[in-house]
Amino acid sequence: MECVVQGIIETQHVDALETLLQGLCGAPKERLRVHELCLKSGPNLGVVPSEVRILCDLAPPSPSWTVRHVGGAMRGAGAEQISVLVRTVVESKVSNAALRFFYALGYKLDHELLKVGFAFRFHRGAHITVTVTSANKMPKLHATEEAVPITPSIQMVEIMAPAAADNYNEVASSVTCFLRIFGPAVTSLKTGGFYWDCSYGSRCCCLSHVK
Amino acid sequence: MTVKWLMHWQPNPGTSLSSQILTEACQCVEALGGTKDGRWKSSLTFYRPMTRDSSAAASAASSASAAAAAAEHPRDFLGLALQEQPNKYFFILRTHRIIVEADASIQNVMEKLQSYKARVVLNFEGSQYQLGDFQLRVGKCVPNQAESLRGIMMEVEYLPLSSIEKSRQVLEEFFDIWQEAVSKKSLPGHFMHIESNYADFGLQDHYTSQHTAVQYGNCMAQLIAAVRN
Repeated sequence: MECVVQGIIETQHVDALETLLQGLCGAPKERLRVHELCLKSGPNLGVVPSEVRILCDLAPPSPSWTVRHVGGAMRGAGAEQISVLVRTVVESKVSNAALRFFYALGYKLDHELLKVGFAFRFHRGAHITVTVTSANKMPKLHATEEAVPITPSIQMVEIMAPAAADNYNEVASSVTCFLRIFGPAVTSLKTGGFYWDCSYGSRCCCLSHVK
Repeated sequence: MTVKWLMHWQPNPGTSLSSQILTEACQCVEALGGTKDGRWKSSLTFYRPMTRDSSAAASAASSASAAAAAAEHPRDFLGLALQEQPNKYFFILRTHRIIVEADASIQNVMEKLQSYKARVVLNFEGSQYQLGDFQLRVGKCVPNQAESLRGIMMEVEYLPLSSIEKSRQVLEEFFDIWQEAVSKKSLPGHFMHIESNYADFGLQDHYTSQHTAVQYGNCMAQLIAAVRN
């Protein structure tokens, strides 16, 4: 499981956000360069249609692979009390044959992205990771070197923390506490308004410039 | 990492497996000077596709959709959990010559996907022995929650080397000594080692657990073929 809050920020404010996060997190910045391939089950395979993500971390000198399954968001009265998105996530490090393996099993490539940006990992009540990434599309299949931003002026901000069935309330509280500091601090950068609305199912926080 | 040879018992035509053969094989190891230093337990799982049109999948006879489904995805693949690497899991897809090494949590991913289901689990249970530079594991292959004997397996691991080619001669010599020791027991069959073409799976000369997975895949294919014959 994981607790997650997603938002967006204008690219022109990313440098300021990075400086802010450096101060808030007290952790070194990590470079992110992840090739994400989203596969969907072919027709007739599986009790229900399924989706799996194959992630290739291109930041280290030798790429590493991860298989990730993202489940549905927690719903119900309990979920309504929590101000972050709680969802099931299962992932596993895999060898580089994983993509061929899932193709052979009958999964088809739905889309692929190259996410480029940075991350801060730190512990504040929970192991929190903040990522700021731009999503890039490839003009040709798997051509990560030729990737171009899908939304050049906007980048994605995600605040995530791993959780379990017996502690997601505490983890959600830790993420919320961090957001209480993070939100006003972003506003103080004069990036514009900070806005996040608990009424949205996706628990989005919007870090965009508001005139 | 060391180099390992997987061997299985091939019964003579018209004879069947019995636990007595396993007892005799263990006695052979001890007669060669092997000392027991633990238990051995690994498991192999057969994953089969779950299809939305289950009736078509069940009767592959004339249904065009079943034929199409079969062309789209394999009839089965194997999952292997090795005792020496409890945090790892291996998938073996022999028809496509693919081996995947993963964290053990990949089993949860497969469960969530609900596209392939773990149908049959075979356990390899037995004893582990130390014999000089060799580590031997001898055991039976039995289905999960059943006692019926499906095979007798043996792992021979040569500890000092990790090059398959460099260790070949030593393992061949060990195999000859082993066959001679077993033949003295006049048992109705013999141990077999299937030579695996690791390059087909994109594996190099440096031995890894993925090589072990290839051997398990080949060995299972052999055992299944023997049962059909």
